[in-house]
Amino acid sequence: MTDAIALLVVVPIVLALAPIAFGRLWDRTGWLAALLAGLAHLGLALVVAATVFSTGRFTYAVGNYRPPFGIELVADGVSATLALLVSIVTLAVVVYARRAGPDTNEFYSGLLILTAGISGVFVTGDLFNLYVFIEITGLATYALVATGRSPAAALSSLKYLLVGTIGASLYLLGVGYLYISTGTLNMADLAATIPEVGYDSPLILTGFGLIVVGLAVKAALFPLHTWQPDAYADSPDSVTAYISALVSTAAAYALFRVIYAVFTPAFDAATPFALDALVILASVSVVVGSVLAVLQSDLKRMLAYSSVAQFGLIVAGFAVANATAVTGGLIHLVGHAIMKAGLFVGVGALAGVAGGRTVDDFAGVADRAPVTSAAFAILAFALVGVPPAVGFAGKWHIVLGAVEGGRWGVAVVAVVSTLLTLAYFARVVERMYFRDAAAEPAGDADGPPVDAPATDGALASDGGSGGSGVDVDPDDDASVTPEDGDGSAPDASAVSIEAKAVVVAAAVGAVVLGLFATDLVSVFEPVLEVYFE
Amino acid sequence: MSEIDSLRPLAAVLLPALGILTIVASHRRPNVREGFTILTALATFGVVASLVPAALSGTVHVSRLGTFVPGIELTLRADPLGMIFALLASTLWLVTSFYSIGYMRGLDEHSQTRYFAAFAGSVGAALGVAFASNLVALYVFYELLTVATYPLVAHDESDEARAAGRKYLTYTFGGGVAVLAGTVLVFWTTGTVAFTPGGIADLATTDPMVARAAFALLAGGFGVKAALIPVHSWLPDAMVAPTPVSGLLHAVAVVKSGVFGIARVVLDVFGPETVSQLGVGLPLASIAAVTIVVSSVIALRQDNLKRRLAYSTISQLSYIVLGLGLLSPAALIGGLLHIPAHAFMKLTLFFCAGAIHVETHTDDISDMAGIGRRMPLTMAAFGVASLGMAGLPLLAGFVSKWYLLIGSIDGGNAIFALVLLTSGLLNIGYFWPVVYQAFFQTPEDSDAKPLVEFPLGGARLAADGGERVDEAEGDDAAADGETEGAAAESSEDEIDPDVPIDTAGRVEPDVEPSESEGQVEIDARVEGDYAVDRNPSDHLGSDVGEAVDEQTESAHSDDSGRGVDEHDHGEHGEHDEHGEHDGHDHHHGGPPASGWERRGFGEESTWFMLGPITVAVAGAVALGIAPRAMVFLALVQRVVADATGVVF
Repeated sequence: MTDAIALLVVVPIVLALAPIAFGRLWDRTGWLAALLAGLAHLGLALVVAATVFSTGRFTYAVGNYRPPFGIELVADGVSATLALLVSIVTLAVVVYARRAGPDTNEFYSGLLILTAGISGVFVTGDLFNLYVFIEITGLATYALVATGRSPAAALSSLKYLLVGTIGASLYLLGVGYLYISTGTLNMADLAATIPEVGYDSPLILTGFGLIVVGLAVKAALFPLHTWQPDAYADSPDSVTAYISALVSTAAAYALFRVIYAVFTPAFDAATPFALDALVILASVSVVVGSVLAVLQSDLKRMLAYSSVAQFGLIVAGFAVANATAVTGGLIHLVGHAIMKAGLFVGVGALAGVAGGRTVDDFAGVADRAPVTSAAFAILAFALVGVPPAVGFAGKWHIVLGAVEGGRWGVAVVAVVSTLLTLAYFARVVERMYFRDAAAEPAGDADGPPVDAPATDGALASDGGSGGSGVDVDPDDDASVTPEDGDGSAPDASAVSIEAKAVVVAAAVGAVVLGLFATDLVSVFEPVLEVYFE
Repeated sequence: MSEIDSLRPLAAVLLPALGILTIVASHRRPNVREGFTILTALATFGVVASLVPAALSGTVHVSRLGTFVPGIELTLRADPLGMIFALLASTLWLVTSFYSIGYMRGLDEHSQTRYFAAFAGSVGAALGVAFASNLVALYVFYELLTVATYPLVAHDESDEARAAGRKYLTYTFGGGVAVLAGTVLVFWTTGTVAFTPGGIADLATTDPMVARAAFALLAGGFGVKAALIPVHSWLPDAMVAPTPVSGLLHAVAVVKSGVFGIARVVLDVFGPETVSQLGVGLPLASIAAVTIVVSSVIALRQDNLKRRLAYSTISQLSYIVLGLGLLSPAALIGGLLHIPAHAFMKLTLFFCAGAIHVETHTDDISDMAGIGRRMPLTMAAFGVASLGMAGLPLLAGFVSKWYLLIGSIDGGNAIFALVLLTSGLLNIGYFWPVVYQAFFQTPEDSDAKPLVEFPLGGARLAADGGERVDEAEGDDAAADGETEGAAAESSEDEIDPDVPIDTAGRVEPDVEPSESEGQVEIDARVEGDYAVDRNPSDHLGSDVGEAVDEQTESAHSDDSGRGVDEHDHGEHGEHDEHGEHDGHDHHHGGPPASGWERRGFGEESTWFMLGPITVAVAGAVALGIAPRAMVFLALVQRVVADATGVVF
């Protein structure tokens, strides 16, 4: 059964060929292949998870070459959870992309290669192999961003390519330093040999610095985030949802493994300034990312900067270097992926209804797409950290861990990040619910339902199917009904059932995961116990 | 104290949540939807009420929902302190539900489904706050309460409402952040955040600076919703919400959740002993005292009735905080008892303000002169409740204030007793003019309100506005009226300035009475018009006036009664005539051109609104007359006994 862990990578890669091979025979080959790959991935991830939960951590030697010479794949509570996350997000995005596009076979090939790369990052136990998967992830992402087909998307893709390659190169350089000084690339082996070389060896320290900076570029921490808002904003909605949920997550996960599986907390004890620097970088990222998010009017850019802030929080949790805070970082890693994917799908879906995706376009959208808007609002408040959603569980552990570790700065930043997150979400939710679609009416109950669909139709430039709602009922909610009925129509001015399902599932998932955060903690616990014994 | 595993506390929290679903599901049929609101409120009240006997006998029903985050359980406990808040919220929710129906339909408001759903959500979260068994669980529901209330604050969808909503979220989430930080500190130092009557033992022995910081964060954080003075300003702005929201949430559930949080912190997290050891009780009491006085003074200058009530709420909430800060058993009882006492009284006041708004669209106190004849029951209830606010005996406010006074003297802090007494005077200062002018003045003839209308420092009025000129004329007439007495004829010339004011009202009845009244009546009016000027008061009584008497008996008799009070006008006939006009012609809403129409008790509005007003004011009176018969005092005494060991 341990083969399943290798198949997590193999299956998507193989199926990625299908759209190219058979795409000419049938248009929907790509979608079907992606769906099959997603389902297979889910099955495999479940097998891996079941094995981990019943027997604990297990390893798999690729090609039967034993480590430290061969490549080792490792499954433990953290990687099994994240592999499951990949399956779920992949399935959700594939479902969403059926309607939302980009409906080309190349897109699905790229998506599956990306799935393979990310899965590889989550399961590998080898530092160089990690580089390979990071590069696969990166290259697939560059291609997917460019599927936006606009000049802006091409530019963003190129920008991402340049910055991302530099990040990956820095990482590779760091791995090289470690290899020179220790002669091994296997993570477990490195953890044993680095102390022999000495934590204060310049080679080790340089290696650490290069690896961390390289991964920070990939995770888009301020000030290394500059590729990310453009890439998120200019790629198609499905791509944004996918990469926002998983790509930076993979980088942050790699950072976690490098700090704890390779360098171990003993390194932190010996050279505290290394993680101090990371704590400061992450904390600044939280604050600056949030402030930049508040300044955005484009919602996708706003959510992109929000990711900068949230990854700052996650990395801050990792850098505090005690079990509680790291647990918090991991919970937030998983929770953020679900919430941010849901939010991006929500923006994509609601933008069709609203006729644009700036903050002002979203005015009054709640009346026209009530279910999606409600789910979006729940996700927004979940990310703010309103309990019992998962955003709170992560934040609680990070704050508690920071206090335990005496990192008061992180504690303050993490606590205040609630308000910072609120600052950029409150204005969106307010416009969605308490402002009418027309430019600046002073909030009359009777005006907007009449002219709102007109505005909408003009902007979306297709028949206003939402416009048939004549507001006779004194209750505004009545105007909602035509929208519900038209849900299945392939019409940009209505939210597709797929999008609605994905956003609602994300919202429910965020709350349910928050309620079962304890179980998530108990899954991560054995992993962290090894690191912090 | 024995514990019973029971689903009832959970049911109390879940029922409103279930209510949201049914309300949203039935959004197309308003009657069914409101039916669900009432049904949910009734069921919730039933569940909470069924927990009362157990809480009184020392048994605690507990719903365990499992571990929330490691080391912290998500458990709901119906302990006595929680029962006070839960019983209050669920009782008044039922009352307010009826009122909401009357209010929202009376104004034909938009988005009623969202309103009722959010209302149910808010109450559910408030019940969660009440039953939460530890700081984290409390925090969970506290934040949910913030989110659930936000749509209600921004309900109006005007710029003002949106701004108020933003301010509300900013303030309360800011408070929530402080609560979270304080909770983390407590958890970090003691390893537990479970509420323990008398306090968590480890906090007494921990580093006092950390403990003080935790207390400051927790009390400060909860203080935002409790509207302590530097962080109070969201509350007056939130008055833009529909009045039932201001009534139940911004006088009872939401603000009291803040106060309740402070009560939990003082009684069940730190414990009165530790609080006094740390020396943080007195600063808390001082902030409360400052809040009491300052917000009362601000209230004096508010002309908008709801804003005045808001500042009154800020002041009264601090009574509770003051009791909690003073820490002596009597003060604790007084503070906690003021939670229900203030709730009943302030709910009455808000209901009255809302009823006035629905019926007459009048919001400003300066427009309410004489409104007592239009809304007698409402204004009578308002009068009773405002006397209660001032702390007069036989009303709810007196009992709690009595304990607070005893408590502050017991604790050796007589200055706080002085603050309480001053506050009572200020209460009269800002409530009495409302009641007085409602019953004893008319729109044409009301005194200037120096505190509201004049700049601070009391500049003498200059003739710069129409109102002031009228005022000056009224003063003239009043001065003359006093001197003339029996010599009515000589005053004729002086009275003239008043006539033009009233002619507008006097022209209308000539048209209107033709439907319902005979020629005699019209004659009476026309005659009366002139007769008043020639022979005041006696002419009407002699011949044609009798027809008037027959038709408008009650109006007339009331008026002649009023005439005695209206000594400053000295013109009885004029007023009789005027009152009668009101009774017939004023059918449109808004501040009327011809004075307030006269309506009898119960005819002033729908019973959807009058019923809740009556119930709320009856509750306020019952709490004052028989505090022991109402369960709240018993619960409060049990809480204080558990926390301090002193049995009353």
